[in-house]
Amino acid sequence: MHVPDGFLSPQTYVPAYALAAGAWAYAARTLQRRLDETLLPRLAVLCALGFVLMSVMLPLPGGTSVHASGIGILAVVFGPWITFAAVSLVLLLQALVFGAGGITVLPVNALAMGLAGSAAACLGYRLLRRVDERAGLFAAGWLATVLPAVLVAGVLGVQPAIAHTADGQPLFFPFGLSVTLPAVVVPHLILGVGEGLLTILVVSFLRRR
Amino acid sequence: MRDRLLLIGYAAAVIAATSVHDPRWLAAGLVLALLAAGRDAPRLLRRTLLAMLAFSAVVSVGYVVAGLLAGNLNPEYLIRINIRVCLLTFLTSLLVARVDFLRALNFWPAASYLATLILSQVVTFRRLFDELRQAADSRRLRRLPLREGYAQSAGAAVHLFDKAERTSGEIALAMRSRGFFAPAGPDARRH
Repeated sequence: MHVPDGFLSPQTYVPAYALAAGAWAYAARTLQRRLDETLLPRLAVLCALGFVLMSVMLPLPGGTSVHASGIGILAVVFGPWITFAAVSLVLLLQALVFGAGGITVLPVNALAMGLAGSAAACLGYRLLRRVDERAGLFAAGWLATVLPAVLVAGVLGVQPAIAHTADGQPLFFPFGLSVTLPAVVVPHLILGVGEGLLTILVVSFLRRR
Repeated sequence: MRDRLLLIGYAAAVIAATSVHDPRWLAAGLVLALLAAGRDAPRLLRRTLLAMLAFSAVVSVGYVVAGLLAGNLNPEYLIRINIRVCLLTFLTSLLVARVDFLRALNFWPAASYLATLILSQVVTFRRLFDELRQAADSRRLRRLPLREGYAQSAGAAVHLFDKAERTSGEIALAMRSRGFFAPAGPDARRH
């Protein structure tokens, strides 16, 4: 979901930055309360881990593969706020140092993937693990993939309605929700299955030792 | 100071490029950015085009097809959006080439240390991940079945988690041994 700069209007990214700033401040306070002097090294290594987990390949039937996001795994192991902080820093580095993504889409991606995705993963895991541990882990991986896709599709899909010329021509992203929701969400419904399976395997391996 | 001013200038340019909708002004902004890049302009422009190509091509082709089918194709939209995306992506490439982020953050020591640690660890983890992938590739003659492919990916992820736990502990000890967490005493204040 690496949307480049230029497709989101200021009416979207300015309020998104305001919202994300509040969430980043709360995440920083939560981290300072929970962690001791290992805060900086732990967060730095977690960011590097998140960065590389996004390179882990998810095999697909037919011999092809796609990149995982690892957000479900990070959320189950470390909780939503640490995951949100780590994913935000990874997205910032990807945009500014490695030239992937963009600075105007950063708050939307951070809120969708880092906050909503990890919160949904934790909630899904806590609700379903009472029934079956593996069902909870699968739900964490699936929700961490699908919910951000729904949110990003929603943000892209409202652009023609909130930023257009007097004669109705779009100024930023041109397609409405009727296009973005199926185009973005349907592939992620399938990718979410792979992410859910990877979450079961990784977290089970980690707990078995 | 120079790096911080460049960061502020970049933020202002991004807001301007998303607030102006006349393609001629956007094109003028792109020309100015190319001039500011000097001899680096061709290399940065190539990097920009590669970065924006996939997403912009999909959106542009989709827009042309939808516009032709609906009979309301507007070429000005295509020109505007592609120049805007090119300008914004070029500005980011120019910033990456011109600004030392670690120096720009030196007014905030914790953020500067964090950025240094992250960048160093990203390099280490990427190298480790590449080595794991190459080791796995060199040990098989055929494509792995789906189940084994997942087990291999999970094994790599678990190894990275182990490495992350060990490394964060080692870095914390190294920083403590160098006095990073010690409260500033009278000597520190003198310096």
